[in-house]
Amino acid sequence: MTKLFILFKTEMILAAREFSGVLFGLIMPVGIMLLLGIIQGENPAFEGASYSMMQQSFPAVATIGICATGLMGIPLTISAYREKKILKHFKVTPTSPFLLLGAQFLTNFVFAVISTLMVLITAIIFFDYSMMGSLIKFVLAYGLVLSAIFSLGMMIASISRTVKTANLLCTLFYFPMLLLSGATIPFEIMPSGLQQISNFMPLTQGIKLLKSISLSIPLDDWIRPVAILSMTVIISLILSVKIFRWA
Amino acid sequence: MINKTRKLLSVHNLNKNYDELIAVKNLNFQVWEGEIFGLLGPNGAGKSTTLECILGTKIPDSGIVKVLNKNPLAHSKHLFQSIGVQFQDSHYPDLIKVGELCRMMSALYMDCEPYKTLLDIFSLTSKMNNRVSELSGGEKQKLSMVLALINNPKIVFLDELTTGLDPVARRQVWSFLNMLKEKGLTIVLTSHYMEEVRFLCDRILIMIEGEEVISGTPELVMYKSNSNTMEDAYLKIINREKRNDKIIHTI
Repeated sequence: MTKLFILFKTEMILAAREFSGVLFGLIMPVGIMLLLGIIQGENPAFEGASYSMMQQSFPAVATIGICATGLMGIPLTISAYREKKILKHFKVTPTSPFLLLGAQFLTNFVFAVISTLMVLITAIIFFDYSMMGSLIKFVLAYGLVLSAIFSLGMMIASISRTVKTANLLCTLFYFPMLLLSGATIPFEIMPSGLQQISNFMPLTQGIKLLKSISLSIPLDDWIRPVAILSMTVIISLILSVKIFRWA
Repeated sequence: MINKTRKLLSVHNLNKNYDELIAVKNLNFQVWEGEIFGLLGPNGAGKSTTLECILGTKIPDSGIVKVLNKNPLAHSKHLFQSIGVQFQDSHYPDLIKVGELCRMMSALYMDCEPYKTLLDIFSLTSKMNNRVSELSGGEKQKLSMVLALINNPKIVFLDELTTGLDPVARRQVWSFLNMLKEKGLTIVLTSHYMEEVRFLCDRILIMIEGEEVISGTPELVMYKSNSNTMEDAYLKIINREKRNDKIIHTI
């Protein structure tokens, strides 16, 4: 436990020093929340809607931190640790390199949660946000979305032989997901063609699930997003384990 | 003092292939307690693969390796408490500071040399709060030595530790290694600098294309190849092997 704590502490310090991580993971989501709030915050989501634009947007913006940590932080750090032979070095110590991976996941998990809490506090303080649905269900769904995105990140880390490949794959996963799944640009205003493409992304399904829970509107088909997210977790993890190399 | 009654490392009939390429072929050697043993050969000769097969980070195709009388593949986690390793071209996280890295690496072991003493010996104490990326090449290599020694090991493996260092830094590293040897540490190293090998190693083994060509004390190797310096001896041996290879190819 002490070992894990020291590794976790070191990883947290390193993550806080990484400017791009702080920018994309913490500053950007809060900035987007503020921007969306200022533009349209307290208006109803659409004519006659029982909830505000802010209430509709919060669950989507809450996932930006998950994307930054899961699709950037995890794959880039792990592939760099492989390339720099840090994972291999752990193999020749009495401590398993799994502990380093564990510390890395924990760090990104804490970062993602901090990001979501910061977005939540921003929404509450400035735009009078309140969650209409069940908080417990929301937390459970959030956990599922986080697991799916982190598993995808781990899969990218396993597939990439070099940091360069990891960088490329991260960009290919991160930006389309961030822009098209509704995390930054509201899904509701996208043309229907784009919505259909976006529907294939696990994050889109995750955001749909989080929205319906937080707005307390029954989703006609909640099995679909849950199944897609769970399948993402299972498939990504199986692939990660099969492909992963320490060095 | 070399203690010829205690073998700290033994390699018996080690073989390792990568697909078609033979990386290590029927390699045999042993290292006694308190000895500095040099594994030499041109790039691609199989030195690093040999070290990795010894440490278990690569799995040998066949052969028996014993470090401190134990099979590293079976006992690795416990065994690594007493082994120090520096890999060729190893690097560290980009933004980590020297002190943080040392603290993190010491945490991986049960019983540790206080790293501050080691930083002192290697004159790195003033760099504790510097990021590793800000260190010079020589300082980085010294830091790799601190990390290889942080667990107070009985045997250390150093893969091309002095490559890329300027002559002053290299000589500093030599004197550190000699000091450690005086204290009874056993060292297995690879190097391309024959002057260094002559200065440090008690015994050497030269390998080409995964196979041993010659082994023994540097004096014996120089004598057998009729050379006055280690560098001459090394070049003669490598060139002779290349010629032999060519002749075999032609035939």
